Amino acid sequence: MKKSCIAMLLAGGQGSRLYALTQNVAKPSVPFGGKYRIIDFPLSNCANSGIDTVGVLTQYRPLQLNSYIGTGQPWDLDATDGGVFILPPYLGAGEKGSWFTGTANAIYQNLAFIENYDPENVLILSGDHIYKMDYAKMLEEHIKQDAACTLAVLTVSLEEATRFGMLNLREDGFVGEFEEKPQHPKSDLASMGIYIFNWKKLREYLIADENDPNSSKDFGKNIIPKMIDAGERLWPYRFDGYWRDVGTITSLWDANMDMLSTTVINLYDPAWPINSRSPICPPQYIGEKAKVIHSIVTEGCDIEGHVENSVLSPSVRVEEDAKVIYSVVMPGAVIEKGAVVEYAIIGENTVVEAGAHVGAEPDGTAEWGVATCGPDIRIRGGAQVPAAAMIYTGEEV
Amino acid sequence: MRNFHGIIFAYHAQPELRELTAARTAASLPFCGRYRLIDFPLSSLRNAGILNVGVIMQRDYQSLLDHIGSGKAWDMSRKTGGLRMLPPFGLPEYHTGDYNGTVEALNAVSTYIRDIEEEWVVLMLGNMAANIDLQAVIHQHLETGADATAICADHTPMGVHHRYILGEDGFVERIALYREGESEGVASLEGYIVRKDQLVDIMDRCRAENLFLFHRHAVNMFLQDGGRLGVYIHPGYANAIKTVEQYYKVSMDMLKTANRRQLFPADRPVRTKEHEEVSTYYGENAVIRNSLIADNCIIDGEVENCILFSGARVEAGAKLRDCIIMRGCVIGKDVELDCVISDKYASFGPGVKLTGNSKLPTVVPKGTKI
Repeated sequence: MKKSCIAMLLAGGQGSRLYALTQNVAKPSVPFGGKYRIIDFPLSNCANSGIDTVGVLTQYRPLQLNSYIGTGQPWDLDATDGGVFILPPYLGAGEKGSWFTGTANAIYQNLAFIENYDPENVLILSGDHIYKMDYAKMLEEHIKQDAACTLAVLTVSLEEATRFGMLNLREDGFVGEFEEKPQHPKSDLASMGIYIFNWKKLREYLIADENDPNSSKDFGKNIIPKMIDAGERLWPYRFDGYWRDVGTITSLWDANMDMLSTTVINLYDPAWPINSRSPICPPQYIGEKAKVIHSIVTEGCDIEGHVENSVLSPSVRVEEDAKVIYSVVMPGAVIEKGAVVEYAIIGENTVVEAGAHVGAEPDGTAEWGVATCGPDIRIRGGAQVPAAAMIYTGEEV
Repeated sequence: MRNFHGIIFAYHAQPELRELTAARTAASLPFCGRYRLIDFPLSSLRNAGILNVGVIMQRDYQSLLDHIGSGKAWDMSRKTGGLRMLPPFGLPEYHTGDYNGTVEALNAVSTYIRDIEEEWVVLMLGNMAANIDLQAVIHQHLETGADATAICADHTPMGVHHRYILGEDGFVERIALYREGESEGVASLEGYIVRKDQLVDIMDRCRAENLFLFHRHAVNMFLQDGGRLGVYIHPGYANAIKTVEQYYKVSMDMLKTANRRQLFPADRPVRTKEHEEVSTYYGENAVIRNSLIADNCIIDGEVENCILFSGARVEAGAKLRDCIIMRGCVIGKDVELDCVISDKYASFGPGVKLTGNSKLPTVVPKGTKI
């Protein structure tokens, strides 16, 4: 069945800079923004943009991600002539199997999947970005510009530019240069890691790149520069909405806090729903002595304590006299009587026992940071987990 | 569970539910922030592994159909068997669509009942707020070797109900019809396990004699035949909802954690149709006490002893006390509501004040703009 555009979602990254939070799960399945997991954003964007075929490339600890995605039904991606496909690395007949060695290699190893759909274009997405984006508009521009590749770009400050892949444009508006994390950026256009390729072109470059022993098989480092060098038409698609890479503890915490403001990103827009696979829980119960201010709370939560400026996932329990302030609490976590959690991320099913204290207010020092407890931990009563701490599953605290 | 087939009675109109059932049956009444009453029997059946289920409907069943869909939420959308919605037009003689009683409702879908391949049928009420452990019921039923088992309450439920008086052998001796308040015997929750062939036989005989009431006619016929009717005592919350007052009382009961744990135990989850997927936001001015709040609400006012369904908007300065606010209602600035049941998509302009009474809560019909 011929498709105009299918999506390939890169979800195999370990997310090593999330440390304890990705000790046992892949980054895209980390809980986010109350009801969601990170991967809900690109999957919902696909469904809302009318892209009904999505290959999800998994590699690192995919168990939870696989069961989370399932048939794709929560995102209305369970189409009969498309749908969501989990694509793990595999062994071919008579071949030596191999892991995905780079983002481009991951797509190369799934040439057969893409060719099933004989698409005109392929959309390449990351599984670790928080944003709402209409890929159909980007595709429209891509087709209009007759581009070999269209890259979604964002205007950033020159300080930020040193963290991104930066694009310098030619006079005709097409991309003339791609610089990965430049010391001295020449423009303010950052690549968001979202690409639409003409499939015939991409196929050529993937095969050529695979045979290049010096290539690291990466889109940003290899494929895009090679296309530019060959004089291909690479069009920048400007995006001015909310977009965050949540690859670090600080950025994950920041982006969660952003969800508290509908003026930053509006999750209540019925025209662009972000969907998720939800547990089956009764509504949240807010008790007699509870205080809940400027926070988002979701189904299954049981709140008897004080919650302020925080993001709570499903089935979180905050007991009497407990305080949760400027924190992110993931599914099933329990904050017992009198415990304090401030400026912290609490992993799934972790219990902060009565009297324990996690995190601290910012003190202006460079050492300060958000305290993080991974999933399935018991923080013992009386424990003091300092700012910027990182507690792994299995650690005794 | 193989060998058991579920039948849910979802046809009751219940005029005492007034405006709340203007366009829905009692079984599709919105309940506890995100559910419909029929979620309880559907989930009980699902949690016992009974996936072949017929739902008997009569009129105003559009909202019921919309809610249940293919039955997917209860894993009842199957290639073989699964969920069947049974509207009243199965047989020519029931074309009027009015059922005088449960036996008549069964006879109206008798072709469906006759085709049931399972040995046993589980009959359940669509408007009963109870999380019944059918696995335990079935276990007891098979263990005692009863011909049929009636599910009964461990307490006296609200309103008019039937009671069973047991003999020394532990089986039902007689039925006491239409009782209210404490009295002899145990209260029926109108859930039964009965052999399919025996059910069909009684249905046929009732039809021949023009009898149509389940308890007065069918159960008495069963007992007169010498049928051994066992009783399973359901340990936990259970109340049928037939009036506005009962609806209000049962809803408010859910604000008590102990009741909620009995209706929504972790090991027998109540499943329901999924709605949109966004958390609830509490603003700077929000003051919330003892309330159940569904997802997708934005609340910046004061809410005390309330149940809010998904999509509610409560603006700053609004005060809600002892209210049930259904899906998509908008409560404007400085609105004050006391003992109000606001049906779906009602909206209250700034400064509106409305007060009801817990015995007679004010019902604001669906879509009303004040």
